[in-house]
Amino acid sequence: MASQNLSPVLEGAKVNLKPNFENIAWKWMRYSAVLLIPLVWIHVILQDVLVGVHRINLDYVTLRWATAGWRIYDVLLLSFAFAHGMNGLRQVLTDYIHPPKWQRVISWLILLLWLTITAIGAVAIIGGVRRG
Amino acid sequence: MAYLKTTLIGYTHYKGRTGQFSFLLHRLTGLGTVLFLAIHIMDTATVYFFPTLYEHALAIYRSTLFGVAEIGLVFCVLFHGTNGLRIAISDWFPRLWESETEHNWNLVTLAITLVLWLPLTGLMIRNLLIHNFGLFGG
Repeated sequence: MASQNLSPVLEGAKVNLKPNFENIAWKWMRYSAVLLIPLVWIHVILQDVLVGVHRINLDYVTLRWATAGWRIYDVLLLSFAFAHGMNGLRQVLTDYIHPPKWQRVISWLILLLWLTITAIGAVAIIGGVRRG
Repeated sequence: MAYLKTTLIGYTHYKGRTGQFSFLLHRLTGLGTVLFLAIHIMDTATVYFFPTLYEHALAIYRSTLFGVAEIGLVFCVLFHGTNGLRIAISDWFPRLWESETEHNWNLVTLAITLVLWLPLTGLMIRNLLIHNFGLFGG
C-alpha cells in the first residue's frame, strides 16, 4: 500500500529511551486519559445533565457520599482528572515560554498549586458534609 | 517574548487544515476544562470547610449565564475525550497519521462529539427553561 511513503517512526520503529520525568509524565497523560473518558463522562452526564445543578444541594452531596463507592469515585476523579489537567497546563505553558529558568518556575508553581488544591479536595471528600 | 509572538503568529499562518484545528481545539478544551475543574474542586470543598457557602456557589451555577457556560463545558469534555481517544488509537495504528486518513478521522471525531453533545445540550436547555424561565411546569 502506501507504506513506502511512511517515515520509520510511522512504521513503528522502536526507540529505547531511559525513562525521565517527561517520559513518565507523558505516560501518565495517556494512561490516565483512558480512565478519564468513562470517569469524567459518567460524572458529567449524571451531575450536569440528568440530575442538574438545580437539584444539587448539601442534602444531595450528603446522600451521595453516604455510599463509599461514590466517595471512591470522587477520589479517583480528583486524583486522575486534576493531575492530568495540571500536567496538561504545564505542557501548554512550557510550549509558549521557552527559557529553562522560567520553565522550572512554572513547573514548581503548578506542582504547588496542584498539591494545594488536591489536598483541599481530598480533605473535603474524606471529611464529608459538615452540618453547622 | 519574541518566541511567544512567533508561536501565535505561526498558528494563523500555518495551513494545517483539520489537523491544526483539532490541535487548537484539543488545547482550548483542555485548558477550559482544567480551569473549571480547579474552581469546581474548591466549590465542592466548601461542603466541609464552609457549608453555608456551598448554597451560595450553587446559586451562581444555577444562573442562566453559567447554564450556558455549562453547555460549553460539556462540549469541552466530550471533544477532549473523543479527540484524545483518536490520538491514542492513531498511535497504536500509525497509518492513521497519514495526512488524508487523519483528515477524515478529525472530521469523524468532530461528528462523534456533536452526536454526543447535541442531545445533552437539548436536555440542559430544557433544565434551564424549567428552572430559570418557568417553562414545562417549572
